[in-house]
Amino acid sequence: MDLLFQFLSNTGYYLADYRNVIMIAVGSLFLYLGSAKSYEPLLLIPIGFGILVGNVPFFKGFGLGIYESNSVLHYLYFGVVTGLYPSIVFLGLGAMTDFSSLMARPVLMLLGAAAQMGIFFTLLGALGLGFLPKEAGSIAIIGGADGPTSIFLTAKLAPHLIGPIAIAAYSYMALIPVIQPPIMRLLTNRKERLIRMPELREVSKKERIIFPAVGVLLCCFLAPASIPLLGTFFFGNFLKECGVTERLAQTARTAIIDTATIFLGLTVGASTQGDVFLTGKSVGIFFLGAVAFSIATASGVIFAKIMNLFLKEKINPLLGAAGVSAVPGSAREVHLVGQAEDPENYLLMHAMACNSSGVIGSAICAGILWSFLVGL
Amino acid sequence: MYGLQAIAAYNGWAMALAGALIVFSGLVILSFVISQLHKILNIFEKKHVGVGQEPEMSDVEPPEDKPWISLPKQFPTDIKEVARLYKPLVEEIGETFYLSQLYEMSKKNNFPHPHITLTAFRESNILISDGDGVFSWNLPTENDDNENVEG
Repeated sequence: MDLLFQFLSNTGYYLADYRNVIMIAVGSLFLYLGSAKSYEPLLLIPIGFGILVGNVPFFKGFGLGIYESNSVLHYLYFGVVTGLYPSIVFLGLGAMTDFSSLMARPVLMLLGAAAQMGIFFTLLGALGLGFLPKEAGSIAIIGGADGPTSIFLTAKLAPHLIGPIAIAAYSYMALIPVIQPPIMRLLTNRKERLIRMPELREVSKKERIIFPAVGVLLCCFLAPASIPLLGTFFFGNFLKECGVTERLAQTARTAIIDTATIFLGLTVGASTQGDVFLTGKSVGIFFLGAVAFSIATASGVIFAKIMNLFLKEKINPLLGAAGVSAVPGSAREVHLVGQAEDPENYLLMHAMACNSSGVIGSAICAGILWSFLVGL
Repeated sequence: MYGLQAIAAYNGWAMALAGALIVFSGLVILSFVISQLHKILNIFEKKHVGVGQEPEMSDVEPPEDKPWISLPKQFPTDIKEVARLYKPLVEEIGETFYLSQLYEMSKKNNFPHPHITLTAFRESNILISDGDGVFSWNLPTENDDNENVEG
């Protein structure tokens, strides 16, 4: 009888508290949004399932939980806390990204820079709300709308916040169709949304090969702390463009990025154990994350309007919203909002140019914040 | 510590301003360099032409670069109608071809939005991949259509 009672007292049913139940509900919501609504399924499904796994109550000391040093989940989590998975994800992203549209219209890169203003406004907001500088930097990077970058910087500056920051970053990326269009419509008038972008010039093979080499040197010389992200990103792109390593590029953009995404999502989800995750700080992070993402979107749109004051050939200001680095979600949203006004207006390729510069911009920001805050 | 006092104490204003300036200047420099890249490449390519040699490319556009297809003023929206306009291009290239060949020809002939159109052709299975980057055309001919109607 004692044995049975001891067994029962070690089951999840006995050990569960309300925080586990709340997190399991959140995980189930992620699974529902990912599978039924197709909102970023490649991210939300691993994270959602990870939340379920991480919130099964267990008897501490058995080496089961992600925060217990000898558990399997802990070993898998190693890739998150060291910044390994984000770096690998960037390799795959580089091997997927086509920079032709950006090279054809380099001025659009400024919109990618403008959208990073959300990061620095949020840094101020987080400091003002009482977060410590390293925590504030980690929260601010959510404004870059780049999950791997957010996880990478948080792992370096405030590892105890990886769970809430990653969940906030990926949640807002999944909610792009909800968050961005109202801001775009609010800040633009119909005439601006109707602006058509000219056909892009053709970019030569040589230009596409040289770009990743030039890009890595210019960006990493400026912000060396972004080497782990931009180094692999541009390397992946070079594999894609050089024309003689197609097999490697193919592996990077399929098997390698998929493997990293699976383990990244699962372990980030599992790191949201109710007792660790459900704190006042997490609520603050979610609030600031939404602010960061909204300011980033607005900054891009407003900057495009400012550029139009000086440019002869006007830019559709909707493109500014694609300056956040949520690839390709925000570019798709810009295209759809443009087409809602004029079905024959094709903004997708231009929006992808802003999107890819947003990836570069947010990785530079991560490097800058890391350099600024590492010593504090 | 909260509010403006916390921002000032942790050097927040300076970090935000310096960070914004650095990322802006970085991307401005990168955009300037890539905007000049094709010009620099052109200079190098011109230098490759030996002294005393005639340049390979004349300044005058070769006749085959001129558009030879007249497009309707109102470009159709139906994908099959668009495909019929592309048909002469495909016949010119041959049975199998690279997408880049079709893209270049459509640009030379001033087809609107060739990139998006080719993507739509692929999604509608009008362009079929034969592997190794080679594609073939799969639009039923008018005769086939008639046979289908009659059959």
